[in-house]
Amino acid sequence: MKEMLTPKKLLTQITSALVVLVLVMIVCSMIGTQRVSLKAAFGGAGGDDGVNTDYEIFVRVRLPRIMLACLVGAALACSGVVFQGILRNPLADPYILGISSGAGLGAIIAVVSGFGWTFWGRSPIAIFAFVGALGTVWLVWSIGRLTGKSHVTGLLLAGVVVNAFFSSVIMFLTSVAKSDQVFSTIFWLMGNMTEEDFAVLWVGAGCVLAGILALFYISPQLNAISFGDEDARTMGISTGRIQTAAFAIAAAITAIAVSLSGLIGFVGLIVPHGIRLVFGPDHRQLLPLSAITGSIFLIIADAIARIIVAPAQLPVGVITAIVGGPFFLVMLVKYARRVGWLIR
Amino acid sequence: MNKWWWILVMTLCWMAAGVAMFGFSPDRNRVYGSVVGGTDRIVSMAPNLTEILFAVGIGQKVVAVSNDSDYPPEAGGRNKVGSFWQPNIEAVIAAKPDLVITLGFGQQRNLAHRLNRIGYNTLTVNMEKVGDLFDAIGKIGEATGAELQAGTLVADIKNRLNNLSTLVGAKDRVRVLYVVQREPLRAAGRDTFINEIIELAGGENAIGPTVYKYPPVGAEQVIACRPEVIIEPVMGQEDLVGQQTKAIQYWSKFENLPAVRNRRIYVINGDAVSRLGPRLYEGTETIARCLRPELFAN
Repeated sequence: MKEMLTPKKLLTQITSALVVLVLVMIVCSMIGTQRVSLKAAFGGAGGDDGVNTDYEIFVRVRLPRIMLACLVGAALACSGVVFQGILRNPLADPYILGISSGAGLGAIIAVVSGFGWTFWGRSPIAIFAFVGALGTVWLVWSIGRLTGKSHVTGLLLAGVVVNAFFSSVIMFLTSVAKSDQVFSTIFWLMGNMTEEDFAVLWVGAGCVLAGILALFYISPQLNAISFGDEDARTMGISTGRIQTAAFAIAAAITAIAVSLSGLIGFVGLIVPHGIRLVFGPDHRQLLPLSAITGSIFLIIADAIARIIVAPAQLPVGVITAIVGGPFFLVMLVKYARRVGWLIR
Repeated sequence: MNKWWWILVMTLCWMAAGVAMFGFSPDRNRVYGSVVGGTDRIVSMAPNLTEILFAVGIGQKVVAVSNDSDYPPEAGGRNKVGSFWQPNIEAVIAAKPDLVITLGFGQQRNLAHRLNRIGYNTLTVNMEKVGDLFDAIGKIGEATGAELQAGTLVADIKNRLNNLSTLVGAKDRVRVLYVVQREPLRAAGRDTFINEIIELAGGENAIGPTVYKYPPVGAEQVIACRPEVIIEPVMGQEDLVGQQTKAIQYWSKFENLPAVRNRRIYVINGDAVSRLGPRLYEGTETIARCLRPELFAN
C-alpha cells in the first residue's frame, strides 16, 4: 500500500523541486557561448567604456531566455498532465487537440502576409499563433461536443483530423511562400526560444501561474475524472464543468507558451509521464511537480541548444526530443514494472 | 468559491506590480543608444554584407561576421556570430559592435529588432534583386562614412556590366536552365535575381513564369523547356571537376536535350552568383562564359 499524500509531504516535494529548479537556473545561466563575469554582469548597465557587455549578455539576453524556458516548460508540462488525465489517453500532449497546427497556421499566415506591425511589443507571428491556437481548440471542442455526451473519443478524433487538415494547409502555404519566409517559419515550428522583454515575461508568468494554480485547485476532481466519467459522477462531481474548465485553462496556458516560443514538442508528453512513473498518478502532486520538472527540463534543453553548435544555435525543439526521448525510455523500463497502474 | 476570487485578485496584483515595474508598454522601456555613434566596430550577419564591407574598403572595421562569411579570405579570420539562419545574439553583443548590419528577411530582421531593444544600432538592408544590391551598397556606405567608395564601387560594377552586355548583345539569347538543387530537381525561376543575372549575361531562363521562386521541376518540364545550356552552381569549397563528371552522368538520361547533346553542362563556383554581392560582375561573367564561350576565347 502506497503512503497517503499528506500536505506536509507535498510541500516538502515541491520545495525540494523548487530548489533544484533554482540550482539549474543558476548553472545554466553560467553556460553559454560567451564567458560572462558575474561580478561585471551585476555591475549595472554602464561600464568603463560606456558599455557593459557582460551585463548586456547576462541580464538582457541570457536571463530572460532562461525565464522564458522556465515559463514555457511549466505551461506545457501542466497542460500535458491535464490532457492526459481528461482524455484518459497516454499519447495525449498539449498539442493533441490541434493547438500546434492552429498556432502554426496562424504563424505562417502572419509570415506569408508579411505584416510589419507590432502589438504590445509582440510580433504578428505571436499574435496570430495565439489566436490560431485558441481558435482551433475551440473548433475541436465544439466538434467534440456535437459527437455526443461522452465525447472523449469524438474529441480526440476531431483533434487528430483538424491537426492533419491544418498541417496540410501549412505545407501548402510553405511551398508557395518565398524561400526566405519559409525558413523563418520552419525555425518557428521547431521551437524558437529567444530572449523576451521583461514586461512580456512578467505578464506571461502571471497568466501561467494563475492557470497552474487554478488547475491545482481542481486536481482532486481531475483525479476522479481520470478513473472514468461514471466513477466521477457517482462521487458527485459535475464532470462536464470540470472538464470544460480544465480544458479551457490548459488550452490557454499552452496558447500563451506557443505564442512566446513556437512549437516545442515533447515536453508536454514526457514530463508528466516521467513524474507519473516516479511519484504516481495523483494530480495534486502531479501538477506542481510536472510544472517544475517541465521548467527544469526545458531550461537544460535550451542551454544545450544554445551551445552545442556554437557559435550558431539550434532550435530547442530539436534538443527536447533528442535528449528527452532516450532519457524517458530508460525511465520507462526502470519504473514501469514497479507501478501496477501502467499495465491495467 | 472564494478561492477562485483569490486567484483573480492575486493575478491582478501581479499585473499591477508588472505595470509598476516595467510600465504599460514593452516598447516604451527600450534603452536606445547605450552605444552611441561611431562605426568603428561593425558586425556583418551575412556573407554578401561582409563582401560589401570589404569591397568599400572598411574591412578593417569589421570585428565579427556570420559563420559562412569566407570571402575575401581575411574575412574568414574574423570572430563568428552564428549562422545566417540562427544568429547568436550573445556572440554579437560580445563583439561590442557600434553597428550590426543584417539582411531584411524574418530571422535577421528579428535579430535587428532584439538588438535595438537592448540598445544597439543596426542597419537592415533588403537583397532580393540586383537593384537592391546597389541600394544596399549605397546605404552601407552612407552608414559607415564610406559614401565615396560605395559610389565608386556601384559605378564600377554597373560600368563593367554595361560593357559585358554590349559584348554579348541583345539577340540570340541562349536558353539556360539554372539548377539550384538536383534531388529533387529545382531551378531558378523568373522572379529571382539569378534570372536577372542570366539575362545580363545574355541568356534567357528556360523556365517560364512560375508560382515558386525556385520551382521544383519535373522530368517532363525539363524536356519541354529544351535548355541549350545547363548550369549547376556548387559551393566554393567543393571540387568542380568531380561535380562536373557527376553532373554529366546525371543529365545523360535526358539525351535529347540540346544542352546534353552538345555537352553544354557547366558546373560553376556559385558563390559569386548566388550571394548577390560586390562580385556580381564576376558571377555574371562566369555565366556569360558558359553561355557564349566563343566571345571569351582570347
